[in-house]
Amino acid sequence: MTVKGFFKSNVFKCLVTLLCVLLVSGVFLTLMNGLLAVSDQERLDRAINKIYGKSVAYTEVAVADYNDSATIEAAYKIKDDGNYLVKSTGKGGFDNGTVTCWVVVNVSGGAIKGIDKVVIDSNKAQSYIANINDNFLSGFYRTYENGYYFNPNDGFIKTGATRSATAICNAVNGAIDYVNGKFLGNVASDAYSGLKYTEYVDTKATTHEGKDGNVIFHVVTKGYGMATPFSIDITVDREGVIKAYTITKNGTDNYDPNKMHSGILDGTLFVGKTVEDVIRFANEGMEYSGVGSDLKTNATNSNYLCLYAAAFAAENYEKFLPEEPEESEEAPKDDEQGGQE
Amino acid sequence: MNKYKKITLDGLIYQNPTFMLVLGTCPTLGLISSAFSAMGMGLTVVVILTLSNILISALRKVIPNAVRIPCYIVIIATLVTFARMFLEKFVPDLYDSLGGFLALIVVNCIILGRAEAFANKHTVPEAAVDGFMQGLGFTVALTLMGIICEFIGKGSLFGYQIMDFKVGMLAKPAGSFLVYGICIAVFTYVIDCIERAKRVKANKLARENLLREVA
Repeated sequence: MTVKGFFKSNVFKCLVTLLCVLLVSGVFLTLMNGLLAVSDQERLDRAINKIYGKSVAYTEVAVADYNDSATIEAAYKIKDDGNYLVKSTGKGGFDNGTVTCWVVVNVSGGAIKGIDKVVIDSNKAQSYIANINDNFLSGFYRTYENGYYFNPNDGFIKTGATRSATAICNAVNGAIDYVNGKFLGNVASDAYSGLKYTEYVDTKATTHEGKDGNVIFHVVTKGYGMATPFSIDITVDREGVIKAYTITKNGTDNYDPNKMHSGILDGTLFVGKTVEDVIRFANEGMEYSGVGSDLKTNATNSNYLCLYAAAFAAENYEKFLPEEPEESEEAPKDDEQGGQE
Repeated sequence: MNKYKKITLDGLIYQNPTFMLVLGTCPTLGLISSAFSAMGMGLTVVVILTLSNILISALRKVIPNAVRIPCYIVIIATLVTFARMFLEKFVPDLYDSLGGFLALIVVNCIILGRAEAFANKHTVPEAAVDGFMQGLGFTVALTLMGIICEFIGKGSLFGYQIMDFKVGMLAKPAGSFLVYGICIAVFTYVIDCIERAKRVKANKLARENLLREVA
């Protein structure tokens, strides 16, 4: 085909037509984008407007994380009522996903008075998030008076999307922690922050004491799925060996505690064991996905929480060991006293 | 019959894209759990379908046959992108409720189907009327099913709670399937009855005329 022939051919006509259509479409959309593009500020105004139901004045405040279970994405102080609007992403959702929520934290007289509103912004991998309804979200306003933190044993969490609900609880808790710590200066004392194996331990509710040279941990776990928080007393000696393991509040009491591993239920599995033994029991490490088959008893989450509590106590005991009595120095003292007499 | 009247009746009834041609089932099943979303999707399709029919009809003598489908797709995609920008700017609630289905209008077979079957063979005014009426037929069908699903499935209408009784399944895709199937059956039955009545009446008239001629 000659050059002249090509320009007269149907192929050339097709190419030109397609290019023209593309060009006109491109130019048109570019112009429209300039006219109709929605800016980030506009999106934010809309989101806040949707939450409050009216236009409000606000100032952006710096963000910081005060909680391992949530990430603070953005925060604003509402000028009209002095409340804080926090965009918080809660971890621990279904399939290790997250749920991002807008949380209106009601602040009055320098203290948090409650949660005014929780609105879901987005989520990652939460297939059942549609089961989270307004009734569930309004549970945050009802249950605030009963406790500072929301967790799965608050009763309202069983929604048909329990893991997503847990992530939402974490987001709300994160927002409360953030406002408390950043603006109200009420950071709850947490002697266990930064320690190992605290992912499923409620570090604010857990306590310890030294007795007879041992450390007794009163561990309170977090809830996990259907399992509500456990309270477990764990005694660890100076060698890091677990001497006693007693579940004082069983998180499976609502359904069937007997589905748990019997050795975990009566503590015999952990007594006489060190942290290495506990971890070895999980076979493939402490990642949930690697939980050994022995833990899969139809109460896997409960077993796992108890395992985590044991690992937490056996790993971190050294930091809380009581000082040893200095007997060798006291003996000559007596002699000295006797001499004076 | 006036050709515009025929186009109108075809779009609304005899070639109703939802009930008779069973086209555009993806947004239908995805959105009829809410009357507001269903109507919003329908109205968006009305605008896009009308504009695409007009443009494709106007360009039908310019676009070579070999590249007509790519050209149609580009035109439709441009209109859909414009519609998305417009809705996001001015009707953000509807934009949020339509979600991914808005972008999927590009591959909605009603729009491409009308472009190929009607717009590229008819004049601009006819194509415009066809696009509008087909879109309106789609809108009416979706809104009707949206009302049924939302009312029975959620006890509300266009977001306003009316009653406490609800059958939750109807607000889910499985329920949408059921409602869609029942609506198709009812619609087809009614059309069939009307057609049969027309035929009986015509036959009766013909028989009377024949008898009159014989007598």
